[in-house]
Amino acid sequence: MQTLVGEKMKNKKAQLKIQQMAFMLMAITLFFALVGMFFLTLQVSRIRESASSLEEKNALLLVTKLANSPEFSCGNSFGTMGTSCVDSDKVMALKNNIGKYKNFWGASSIEIRKIYPLSQSVECTSSSYPNCNLIKITDEEITSEYSNFVSLCRKEFSDGETYDKCELARLMVGYNG
Amino acid sequence: MNKKGVEFSFTWLFAMIVGMTILFLAIYAVTRITQTENTVIDASTAKQIGILLNPLETGFESAKTTSLILPKETRIYNKCDNRTEPFGRQVISLSQKSFNKWTDTDIDVGFSNKYIFSEGFVEGKKFYVFSKPFEFPFKISDVIYITSADKKYCFDDAPEDIRDELSSLGQENIYLENCPEESAKVCFSGGCDIKVDYSSRYVQKFNEKMYFADDSMMYAAIFSEPEIYECQLKRLMKRGESLIELYNGKADIVSAKGCDSGVKNELSVLGSMISDVKNSENINTAVVETVEDIKNKNSVSLCKLW
Repeated sequence: MQTLVGEKMKNKKAQLKIQQMAFMLMAITLFFALVGMFFLTLQVSRIRESASSLEEKNALLLVTKLANSPEFSCGNSFGTMGTSCVDSDKVMALKNNIGKYKNFWGASSIEIRKIYPLSQSVECTSSSYPNCNLIKITDEEITSEYSNFVSLCRKEFSDGETYDKCELARLMVGYNG
Repeated sequence: MNKKGVEFSFTWLFAMIVGMTILFLAIYAVTRITQTENTVIDASTAKQIGILLNPLETGFESAKTTSLILPKETRIYNKCDNRTEPFGRQVISLSQKSFNKWTDTDIDVGFSNKYIFSEGFVEGKKFYVFSKPFEFPFKISDVIYITSADKKYCFDDAPEDIRDELSSLGQENIYLENCPEESAKVCFSGGCDIKVDYSSRYVQKFNEKMYFADDSMMYAAIFSEPEIYECQLKRLMKRGESLIELYNGKADIVSAKGCDSGVKNELSVLGSMISDVKNSENINTAVVETVEDIKNKNSVSLCKLW
């Protein structure tokens, strides 16, 4: 009889030990899982930050590059070739064919705003051009914007003569980071 | 009977199994994290290379060069995709040497507005990046050539203007005289690794002919694999077609202001010629002559389109 009680006690003690061990192991696993999740969150936020900083860098360099890309640049149309000269006649043609160029430069929005002479904001369309001061080439939601000063040139016609007209403008590139 | 043995209680067995599982999971997690970290580094370096190429596409210099030094032995894979509409994509991926093994390259970084000419992959720590505008007859884009500093090119019999241009670049892996023995010989007369027939406008490499229209595409053919050359050429032609549409649009706008460019019809002809270009062989004398003709007409026009 006594042996049976002793055996039962021993079994109970062993069960308790196993339970203790199981709880301990579960706690350790949970701890490691939490540490892992914390590390993963840190990692993901670091990658996001680096992606956003790369996007930012891209937008910053893009704004300089864009004015000299063949879709925007004046080339030799207005006399000698110069940097940061945007051909507004060509840009209007681009605006009318923008479908193909969606995501081409990796920017969410591209706008050109005349800054001198100062006047009320009028968006350029086929009917309002050239009596307007804002050319919206692509227009999506943005979180940051970078700009560069450019000369915006076009052909003008007056008194039976065609001449070149250049105005000061800002080329703005926006991105959604 | 005396049975000798080690007694294992269930508790010990259980602890060992679970301990081993935890250890295995920890090792697996560390390996995965290292792999992910390598992939992140590869992808972000590839993106950075793409971004750093932006300044090379600015300005009006006839050609310019820069070098790129990476902290580890690196392979830059150049992939060209001309199927993605509308302009195809330039894809760069990177693999770096880590513990004497090349990391996997499963992350591709794509750009629609870049045209890189190189071998399938270039390997080394230092790379030379050289760019030149491609005009057909208007500027279509700046094309970029990437070579490894470890790979040397010998241009000892190049024509004078090519020699002048290359020497002004000062690229250390391009030799105009005293070529090292291991350098890839580019010859403009006779036969060698890379044969350039300047009058028939083709470069022969790996027994394949790549036809070119101007010097920028000649360099492209010299520095790149035939497959990449043909693919990038097709992408450039697609952009050219689209630029023709823009110039036609501009021609309408300026002609409404009483200024006729005088090249609108020729541009339409060139547009249909470009759309027929399936490979470099289609860039024949007729196409090159049309391009030259348009270029000359535009340069003397009162209302230049470009």
